[in-house]
Amino acid sequence: MEWTRKDLLSLYDLEAEEIECILDTAAEFKKVSERQVKKVPALRGKTVVNFFVEPSTRTRVSFELAEQRLSADVVNMQAQASSLLKGETLLDTVKNIEALQVDLVVMRHSATGAQAFIASKLKCGVINAGDGAHSHPTQALLDIFTIREKKGGVKGLNVTILGDILHSRVARSNMWGLLKLGANVTLAGPSTLVPREFESIPGVRVCHNLKDAVANADVVNLLRIQHERQTAGFFPGTGEYARFFGINSDSLKMMKPDVMIMHPGPINRDVELAGEVADGSNSVILEQVTNGLAVRMAVLFLVAGCVKK
Amino acid sequence: MINGTKLFSAEEISTAVAKIADAIGADFTGSFDDCALVGIHQQGVPLAEMICEELKKKYGSAPLVGKLDISMYRDDIGNRKRLPAIRETDIPFDVNGSSIILVDDVLSTGRTIRAALDALTDYGRAGLIRLAVLVDRGEPEFPIRADYVGLCTTAPADRKIVVRFEEDGDPGIYAVNWENHNL
Repeated sequence: MEWTRKDLLSLYDLEAEEIECILDTAAEFKKVSERQVKKVPALRGKTVVNFFVEPSTRTRVSFELAEQRLSADVVNMQAQASSLLKGETLLDTVKNIEALQVDLVVMRHSATGAQAFIASKLKCGVINAGDGAHSHPTQALLDIFTIREKKGGVKGLNVTILGDILHSRVARSNMWGLLKLGANVTLAGPSTLVPREFESIPGVRVCHNLKDAVANADVVNLLRIQHERQTAGFFPGTGEYARFFGINSDSLKMMKPDVMIMHPGPINRDVELAGEVADGSNSVILEQVTNGLAVRMAVLFLVAGCVKK
Repeated sequence: MINGTKLFSAEEISTAVAKIADAIGADFTGSFDDCALVGIHQQGVPLAEMICEELKKKYGSAPLVGKLDISMYRDDIGNRKRLPAIRETDIPFDVNGSSIILVDDVLSTGRTIRAALDALTDYGRAGLIRLAVLVDRGEPEFPIRADYVGLCTTAPADRKIVVRFEEDGDPGIYAVNWENHNL
């Protein structure tokens, strides 16, 4: 399998083989971070712009470190400090970035499809670091990498994604990636946050009851309850959410003993996930962070590696 | 079946591997304690195993064998339309102070070896690094020469030298057209 894409926009676009190619590449990059010399010259002389129109800390830091470990030159841009605030269009802003001879743009934007739009207009590569509620491919890839590494494979596993599915790009990207690799996906949470329409996708089950959702799960991936997106009152309060859908040592008893608990962070402790479980032996949350670095190095390497001059 | 001119047969490969193993064995006087073979992907990896087998037969002991993928150290990243898949790197010994023999199938421009030297340096400070190749094409673009050479050949610039070890794939060394070769 050889990588031929100029951009990484969503997992929906990729073939299973391409996802495997990224994961295999990431496994080798993970070893680089375990060496004494944690850096390779792969992107020496290349310039990467991290353009985060929507704020981000952990994804941006992970990308930035990945870029540094690949020896790229890195520029960080944030919306607050960009000319978008002066009325410049998004396309003009990125065209100006490209005119500085950059090789890659890593972008986060609150609008679905923003990256796909600019990728079609730019010669340089574009990596989607999250667009609206649509797609967050590198987060899903690091989740799938972690599942594959811990469980030895993805095919046939029961993976439950639990929480605010409606607003979650992490859930959507995970769902497409997991389905392509042959997992069974359960989307679970309060009925206001998990639309039944998802059941029309083959391989997807929708569940509004915690016990049903997790009883057969090999993996439970929890989503953060996004306070900033809860103004419309999708559930009465975080206390009630925690009581019905929170994972704690009691709800852990409903699950398989070797169930893997994942969370993309940041955790609302004792809302969607109790501290004792987040820090317990079923949790792989910090390994996800470590793997995120490897996966982002792989994606940067592959996308930069075949950019047409 | 490979579409190209056969330059050397499977027997000639076996003889060449034995010749390389003999030369290595003589240099290290049959003692391989701090010595390792590192095969460069792809064909350097099976070649390193073959040399190791020969040494075992002759001396009853053999150096450790590692694998190296040089993709992250290439000098043409971003200039190619396709990127070959990264393969496993496995250096199962401490590079610091050890004697390493890099093993590759064909020495052509020397660029792969340049990348391999950079890669090895990131694993530690080797005491000694040497190079063994099955075929030396004799057209270096870098000041790099092999210490152990199995066979020498020349070929026009539009030909690529391809080594096949597989028993079922008509093993031998071939000159093929670059455009016919899926690089």
